[in-house]
Amino acid sequence: KRKKFTKLLLQVVACYRHLASCVGGCTDSLQLREELRQTREKAQMLSVAICSHLTSHLRNKRLPEGQRKEMELLWVAFSSSLELLHGDMCKVFNVAEIFSLANTDSLVQTGLQGGGSEVAARALSLPDLNRAQSPTLPAGLESQERSTMEQEIGQIEHMIDDMEMKVNVMRWMVEPHGPQYTDPLSSTDSASLALLSVDEEQPGRQPLCQRSQIFVLLLMFAVVLVAATLSVCVVFFS
Amino acid sequence: MTIRNTLRDHGQRYRPRMACLKKAEKLLLEMQDPKTGVKSQPQRLVITTIPHAITGEDIIAWLADRFQVDTQEARNFVSMLVALGYIYPLQDHRRLVIKPDASLYRFQTPYFWPTQQWPVEDTDYAIYLAKRNIRKRGILELHEQEHYNRLHKWMNHKWDFVVMQAKEQYRAAKERKKPDRVVFECQERAYWVVHRPPPGTVSAMDYGLDRLTDPNADEVTGLLCCSFKHYTPLTRSLCFLCSRRLVKYCSTYKSHDPFLSNCLPSNPWLTDDATYWSLNMPSVEIPTKMRVERWTFSFAELLSDPRGRDDFRLFLKKEFSGENLAFWEGCEDLKWGEAATMREKAEHIYKTFLARGAPRWINIDGKTMEVTVKGLKHPHRYVLDPAQTHIYMLMKKDSYGRYQKSPVFKDTVKKAICPEEHRYSDAQLQQNAKKRRPSLSPIILRQMEQEQRAKMAANVDITQVMSKLSKQGKEAPPPFLAPPLRNKHKRVMFRDFYRRI
Repeated sequence: KRKKFTKLLLQVVACYRHLASCVGGCTDSLQLREELRQTREKAQMLSVAICSHLTSHLRNKRLPEGQRKEMELLWVAFSSSLELLHGDMCKVFNVAEIFSLANTDSLVQTGLQGGGSEVAARALSLPDLNRAQSPTLPAGLESQERSTMEQEIGQIEHMIDDMEMKVNVMRWMVEPHGPQYTDPLSSTDSASLALLSVDEEQPGRQPLCQRSQIFVLLLMFAVVLVAATLSVCVVFFS
Repeated sequence: MTIRNTLRDHGQRYRPRMACLKKAEKLLLEMQDPKTGVKSQPQRLVITTIPHAITGEDIIAWLADRFQVDTQEARNFVSMLVALGYIYPLQDHRRLVIKPDASLYRFQTPYFWPTQQWPVEDTDYAIYLAKRNIRKRGILELHEQEHYNRLHKWMNHKWDFVVMQAKEQYRAAKERKKPDRVVFECQERAYWVVHRPPPGTVSAMDYGLDRLTDPNADEVTGLLCCSFKHYTPLTRSLCFLCSRRLVKYCSTYKSHDPFLSNCLPSNPWLTDDATYWSLNMPSVEIPTKMRVERWTFSFAELLSDPRGRDDFRLFLKKEFSGENLAFWEGCEDLKWGEAATMREKAEHIYKTFLARGAPRWINIDGKTMEVTVKGLKHPHRYVLDPAQTHIYMLMKKDSYGRYQKSPVFKDTVKKAICPEEHRYSDAQLQQNAKKRRPSLSPIILRQMEQEQRAKMAANVDITQVMSKLSKQGKEAPPPFLAPPLRNKHKRVMFRDFYRRI
């Protein structure tokens, strides 16, 4: 159960990062901020649960060695993901200070087109996020959001501090299970790789591409011609 | 390991002021305006189009118009923005330069903008590299591979977390639409080119060492910022003199400073060609013209340069006054040498230079001699300071001037070389970078130095020593030498002279 929660927390933190990278860009909207807030809340819920669980277990001196090692691994993963979350939250807070949603002219044109709804759905483990009608922005809402964010950042800092004080995990003794190089997850993503690599080679290889394209076209044309003449011959002689 | 380090650190942990970042951000916001900002166009890829691509010439033109400057200045400005990571190139992503043609660029998302408050974490870099490795094995470049291995070694306890987080980020990215995924990948890649530059390039965010004070904290005002008119006349005149001296120093050394003017033949740090260092070695046969020019600036410059000192020593040998310099060097050796051998050194110097009838007797006035001999009863590091200062001033006022007019110096000046400036092309620079080798080990250098010193001491002007010795009669030994040595005084001194080398 602890492992499941930790995995879920990692998932949420990863999704939060994707959402955070959209803040300040052209797809920034109230919707995105709302999704960020919900993701943050879920992350905090999970972290509070894991924290209390892990702390109580690790302070138990009568824990067997094997279990203790497992706990310590989870502890390292948990504290690292909390640090990542804290960093992302601070960045979002800073960026939100610069970019106010009231003035959409100055949002950075980053080239993104879609919002982060699917990512947020993954984070909140909901099958589909219903697009709520975008509410109008009352004047005080942004500053209120900022103060709640400050509070949340403070809470995470407090949690990290607390953890360090209460449990002494010697990080240099923790050994990971996995290998240095993991297996690739899937090869179906080579399409986006192809997009990127074409992107790269566009300027230099353009004449070559054109030449090869023309060559292929000519070849096909020749084949079609041969087929046509053959069929005409067949028709003539039969 | 934690992000915030402010409370636990007691030392230099603060990133310096980066005022340019805030100013660049304001400018970036202006560029986004749909009416008055930079014009954007869609980028056509194989399957899809991605909007908001801008051309290099458009950005430069916009900036030149906005600030009313010429194109070259605008180009420099934009290249700074690209180097900092606010705008990234879509083609040739490894080189963060602005090309004033139709090459495409895009604005970086504010999440990946450079900040002064937080350093870029290695954990994030590890996750990024792991993510790329997960996507396709073997896609990492050589320097990225090396980083990956190094991070695996020192972040070993977190490695499970790194890999899991990389997988989660990868899966989360798959939820997005394809064009957005490509854009995000480009953004992240550009971010890491800025903050972990490939070899041969420098990150624009490189600031050297951390600072002692926190620039984000409130400044202490009041006592420190008093205005000039509150100073007393004495302080004011001292300030004035100091500033005059500073100005004189700067104008003298301006052409010799490798930052302010060209380093001949080429700056080794920039072109990876170590000719400059080999031409300016401490004991080189023929010095460079710049080096010889520096010897004329001041006597201290001449003495501090080993090659200059050699030249001066040669001149003094011809004038038969080499004992001054030898005495000065002996005193320096005593001052900066090991404490264990200090007593012997002091004795040796006394016997060689200061005692009555010494083989290389130096000419200092009676009062200084008295003070020195008295001090030598209980020798310490600085016991020979008054004598050394006297000899130094003597050399500076007398010999230095004659040296500069001497044939020895004129000969050196004539023979001095002025190497030509190297002009390397890009390909040659890359070649040089590959051929880099470490320089001589300091151990070997020190051995060479010691051999040189031994050779020099052995080649001491024998004629001088002999002539001085012949003038000796049977004279009373100096107070602090032990009585048994009295009989063999002369010979012991001569032999010791060679034995102590």
